[in-house]
Amino acid sequence: MQSPFKGLRSVTLAAAVILAAATVAYAHHGWSWTQDGFFELRGKITAIYIGNPHATLDVDAEGEVWRVDLAPPSRTIAAGFTEEVAKVGDEVTAIGHRSRDETEKLMKASRIIVNGKTYDVYPDRVPPA
Amino acid sequence: MDELLAGIEQLAFVRVLKASFVAYPIVNALHIMSIGALLTSVWLMDLRILGAFRSLPHAAFVALLRRTAFAAFAGALATGSLLFSVRASEYAAMPIFFAKMTLILLAGANFLVFMRRAKGGDEPAGGTVTIVAVLSLVLWTSVLFAGRFIGFLN
Repeated sequence: MQSPFKGLRSVTLAAAVILAAATVAYAHHGWSWTQDGFFELRGKITAIYIGNPHATLDVDAEGEVWRVDLAPPSRTIAAGFTEEVAKVGDEVTAIGHRSRDETEKLMKASRIIVNGKTYDVYPDRVPPA
Repeated sequence: MDELLAGIEQLAFVRVLKASFVAYPIVNALHIMSIGALLTSVWLMDLRILGAFRSLPHAAFVALLRRTAFAAFAGALATGSLLFSVRASEYAAMPIFFAKMTLILLAGANFLVFMRRAKGGDEPAGGTVTIVAVLSLVLWTSVLFAGRFIGFLN
C-alpha cells in the first residue's frame, strides 16, 4: 500500500481551491450581493414566477430582460402580490437593490408597483417615505 | 425537451410543492440530510480505503458504508428531483446544474471502476484503488459544492 497521505494532500488542496472559489462568488440569498443604494427598474413583465424557493419577475426594460428577485412565496403572497394581480405585458416598477456585478441584469426588489398598486414584499427594506 | 420540463412543472403535486409553505422546506431539509449522510459515508469509506482507521475491519466497514452511501444517494436523488421539479426549465438551463449532473455521472463511473477492482472482498490495494478513492472524494465533494451554487447563481 502506498502512503495514503499523498492522496490526502491533493484532496486537501482541491478542497482549499474550491473554498477559495466559493468565497468570491455572488450569493442570491440575503442582500450582501446587492449594491447599497436603491435602484429602480421600469419595464414590461415578460414572465411571472410565484413559488419556491422565491418568487421572480422577468422584466423587459428598453429591450434588455432583467431578472427581479422577490421574496419567498409565502411572504410575496402575504404582501398581496399573487398570480391574479399581474400578467405578462403589464408595466411594472421595481424598487430595491441591483447586483454589485453590473454586468448582471439582476436585482432584488423590496417594492413593486403594478397596475397602480404597490406591493411591499420586504416592508422593512423599502425606501423611507 | 422544453415541453417535458414544462410538463413536469405542471404536475399536480409539483404545483402543490411550488406554493407550499411547509412541504418545500421539509423536502429541502431531507435533501440536506441525504447529502450529509452521503458525503459522510463516502469520506469515511474512501479514507479507510486510503489507509486510515486501520483498526476497523476493512471488508465489514466498507460494506456498511457502501450500503449507507447507496441509501443516502437514493434519498438525495428523490428529494433532489422534487426540488428540481418546481422550476425544471430554469434549472435545466443553468450551466452549474449541468456541471453537477456531469460530476454525478463521473462519480458514478468512478464507483463502477472501484467495484470492478474490489471484487473478491479482500482489502484492495495498489495505485488504481488509491486514485479511485481520491477521485471519489474530489468528485462527491465537488457535487456538493456545485449543488449549493445552484441556489446562488442565476
